[in-house]
Amino acid sequence: MKTKQHLVPYLFLLPALAGLLLFKIYPIMNGLIQSLFTNHFLSQTKKFVGLGNYLDLAKDPVFWKSLFVTLKFNLVINPLQIALAFGLAILLNHKIRGIALFRAVQFVPVAVSVPSACVLWNIMMSPEQGVLNSILIALGLEPQPFLASSSQALWSIILIASWKGVGYWTLFLLAGLQEIPRSIYEAACIDGATGWQQFRKVTIPMIMRPLTFVVVSVTIANLLLFSPMYILTGGGPQRSTNVLMLESYNSAFMYSDMGRSSAIVVVLLIMTLLIVTMQFRMLRAKH
Amino acid sequence: MTRKWTTSAYSYAFQIILALIVLLPIAFALVSSFRPLDDIFKYLSPVTWKTFWPGNVTFEAYENLFALRGFGRTFFNTFFVSAVCVIFGLLVGSMAAFAFSTFEFAGKKTAFAIVILTFMLPFEIIAIPLYSFVNRLGWIDSYSGLIIPNIANGLVIFLFYQFFQDMPKALFESARIDGAAWFRVYSQITMPLSKPVTVSAALLIFIQQWESFLWPLIAVRSKEYKLIQVALSDFVTDIMTYWNEMFAAVVLSIIVPVILLLPLQRYYVEGIANTGSKE
Repeated sequence: MKTKQHLVPYLFLLPALAGLLLFKIYPIMNGLIQSLFTNHFLSQTKKFVGLGNYLDLAKDPVFWKSLFVTLKFNLVINPLQIALAFGLAILLNHKIRGIALFRAVQFVPVAVSVPSACVLWNIMMSPEQGVLNSILIALGLEPQPFLASSSQALWSIILIASWKGVGYWTLFLLAGLQEIPRSIYEAACIDGATGWQQFRKVTIPMIMRPLTFVVVSVTIANLLLFSPMYILTGGGPQRSTNVLMLESYNSAFMYSDMGRSSAIVVVLLIMTLLIVTMQFRMLRAKH
Repeated sequence: MTRKWTTSAYSYAFQIILALIVLLPIAFALVSSFRPLDDIFKYLSPVTWKTFWPGNVTFEAYENLFALRGFGRTFFNTFFVSAVCVIFGLLVGSMAAFAFSTFEFAGKKTAFAIVILTFMLPFEIIAIPLYSFVNRLGWIDSYSGLIIPNIANGLVIFLFYQFFQDMPKALFESARIDGAAWFRVYSQITMPLSKPVTVSAALLIFIQQWESFLWPLIAVRSKEYKLIQVALSDFVTDIMTYWNEMFAAVVLSIIVPVILLLPLQRYYVEGIANTGSKE
């Protein structure tokens, strides 16, 4: 009876834990291991090369360019999305008439998948017949090449990804703002705090937890963002949108180089961990 | 008083501009999907109110999608995979959460750490090695390959765990004294009391699956098991010419989450807020 009792929690846990271990944990481990091997296609054998794949990456200008694009993309899109989501959350927290409708509208992109957003905006941004260029022409401005140009493609993707993403991140921050008791603001008001002081001394500290979550989640999501580049530009023009995740995908599925692909993913994973740890430290210190 | 009035006027102006930025591309897609192919280009330049308002309504694009491009199969696949993921994901996730919140057992901390780790872990990191593994299992190009790896979900376990933590433990104890087996406590007391979190988790899983792209892209080779997001991306990468069909496909991909989210928005937001605000 007693021994049977001991098994109960494990029986409840087993299906989930087996799934997580097999399909989440094991693949990471396997990826780490694969990054230490090369595949030989003709002989169908694997050869242990130690850090060989990483050393090859270090000598590879395509990798460095891709790393640069990934960092550039993230340095712009992460602060942009966080700032926009915060601003939007504050705006949607205003108690004005009809606010429920505006909230529902900003919630709509949650129902739009990244590929749908890409298809929509690809047509909006089409250089010859796109709506955006028609609007620019109507305003007396020059039409732009957008995704077709190596100097604008990355920026275009940043805009598209933000159009799709900001509403989702706003949900977390809006929920955080709504949990701040009104009485704190009223007390601050009585003490003569200005709007800006209230924001600095009340809003920011009170929203630190969801804000930290959003900062970290936005960063992870964008460091690994893949589909807009895959769908819209294939990494081009001139590799200007060739982020590491896409380079890794292409190594695996276009060039069948699993070793290189896995090594790139490991580099991305380490980069993500480092950046996220740093963010946690900085946001905790402020807490 | 006037100052207050101007602030809210600014606020409205801002809200309306932002709402237009969100809605115009979608409105444009919706309208264009009901147009004959030639008409789409006709109203593109210059942009007038006609760009966003249909003239000759036709269902040609939708008919072509289903009759010529096998979109029915794709649509069904996506629905089927998402629904099965929801059913098994809820079952497996809530059972694990029940174990975490009800029992003390050896290895609990490690098991919980795995849950948290996988919940923070982005899918992209594991996609390529997962492909090698699923390939060895022979599940590429099958429903198994699309569904089974996605059933166990750290986020869902976490959501249920938080909900169960707030339930009064006395409920379970009295049932146990009456001699109910643990599985009955789980299925007849805990779960019936957990409807809100179940709806939240179901929505999160469904939308995540419906919108997933990378895994259906690499786990499927044939048209037979194609999912909607990959079919959408094919329009851009392969057949850029049929804009009306492309828009119809986008509308179909958006309409399903919208239909679910409109009445159940509150549950989705609650689920989301719970993952973000607690640790």
